[in-house]
Amino acid sequence: MKEIVVKIGKEPALTTIFSAPKNLDTNKPAVLIFNSGVMHHIGTCRISVTIARKLARSGILAARFDFSGIGDSTTRRGNLPFEQSSVEEIRQVMDYLEQKKGIRKFIVYGLCSGADAAYEIAKVEPRICGIIQIDAYCYRTPKWYIKHYGPRLINPGVWKRILLRLVGKANHTRSEGENIDDEYLEMPSYIRVFPPRNEVAKGLQQIIDNDVSIYSIFTGGMMYTMNYHGQFEDAFRDVDFKGRLKAEWYPELDHILTHVELQKKLPEYICRWVQENSDPTSQAT
Amino acid sequence: MKPFFFGSSANPLYGVYHPPDGNLTRKEGVLLLSAFGQEYMRAHRAYRQLANLLNKKGFPVLRFDYRGTGDSAGELEDIVLDDWRADIDAAAEELRHTAQVQSVSVVGLRLGALMGAWASEKVDIDRLCLWDPVISGTCYEEELIAILGTEGPSETNHIDDKGTLHYNGFPLYQPFREALKRIDLRSEYPVANQILHVSSKNNTYDKALADVWQNQENYTYQYIDVPGNWTFVDEFGGILLPQPIIKFIVDWFSKESSE
Repeated sequence: MKEIVVKIGKEPALTTIFSAPKNLDTNKPAVLIFNSGVMHHIGTCRISVTIARKLARSGILAARFDFSGIGDSTTRRGNLPFEQSSVEEIRQVMDYLEQKKGIRKFIVYGLCSGADAAYEIAKVEPRICGIIQIDAYCYRTPKWYIKHYGPRLINPGVWKRILLRLVGKANHTRSEGENIDDEYLEMPSYIRVFPPRNEVAKGLQQIIDNDVSIYSIFTGGMMYTMNYHGQFEDAFRDVDFKGRLKAEWYPELDHILTHVELQKKLPEYICRWVQENSDPTSQAT
Repeated sequence: MKPFFFGSSANPLYGVYHPPDGNLTRKEGVLLLSAFGQEYMRAHRAYRQLANLLNKKGFPVLRFDYRGTGDSAGELEDIVLDDWRADIDAAAEELRHTAQVQSVSVVGLRLGALMGAWASEKVDIDRLCLWDPVISGTCYEEELIAILGTEGPSETNHIDDKGTLHYNGFPLYQPFREALKRIDLRSEYPVANQILHVSSKNNTYDKALADVWQNQENYTYQYIDVPGNWTFVDEFGGILLPQPIIKFIVDWFSKESSE
């Protein structure tokens, strides 16, 4: 395994790190690893580095890069929204790899805003053959409401808090982070708004119909929208995934992946899925 | 901004070199030493901004990842603290060579400040800026363990049976912890021509260090009232940008330096 860093393009110049296997098979797809939010290309808890190196050791070329203005990439001129600029920039990296290495198929990976970018590019780019998303768009189902509100209905503490709130005696405790003025904090400029469910269902169908396989991993950080195994499938019952979807939910895992054991396992799961989906003749999960 | 790998081929280090703007080139380069763990993630943008502002004042700047962190080679469990000091030495040499500067100064944030001060015994450092420094390995652990005590151990934050301290997704292995505990800035004054201690924390640790060092001729302490809770992590990975401190550091370098 060898790593090199290149700047792809001039305006903006995207800082990209390639983790290359000893023997590169250009018939296998390369994996592109995206930023999540404003975190730079090493990924939360360095997980993008771990995944890229693991993939390279298993014969897959992996590229982690910063979108314009994030991490070590220069800022883009103009005011293209992230949904569009990300697609252009992903294509910039794919074009580079196609021209320099002859790779014509790609699997893309992203967490949160990176998952959204993976969804957007897979809708429009025929070179994508797989997407790996952590905490992608998901929607509440009737079962979500039952699981969310059911236990609360029989919890006396909840009723007590409601009563206190009604009589104006409830205290709101602020976390430390909330006390920091906005001027000293930089949060992702990309405001994550879930598109209407029907729109995403249509997009997912389009992706599947383009022979793209999907590996969707959800964390406990998405409790506000996902709270049981199989919810993703329930939320998109109208999508024919044609056996190309693998969805998993890890309630004990938080959104920035700090869980010690799962931090080790996730890269393994991802590399295994990539291997299973790297043979052009193989069927999906 | 020029990202590159440097150092030995066995253990390449990832660095980003920021060349100075225009014709104003100083003979002094500035090396930025990173914090650790989520603090490093949270400070990445602040360091990029600090580098850019120093460039505008004519300073070439290098920031880099220690072995086992960021994009540099290795895993933390295979790293000993002396490796990091060797990395600082290699980075200082790289900056001297790349920028053709006569001297190298250092800015260290949190654990990076402790590393910079410790490395100054062996690495030739002109000026040293310690930003919200960890003042000793023991105090660093106290800080983290106090948070574990408040929040209780969890799958994320705990000390495992091998003595590894897991904190917000990053491990501090037992040998590393032990080596860190042997460093205490209160008993080891760094070797540098000038030392700036800039703090956003009016806490006991910083006061303790300022009290011990206050009579040193080349020491300046500055408290700036801005948020500086580097250990806090939000669920979205928001980052901290304490602009007044960044500006203060740039001014300190610019005022005291000759072109």
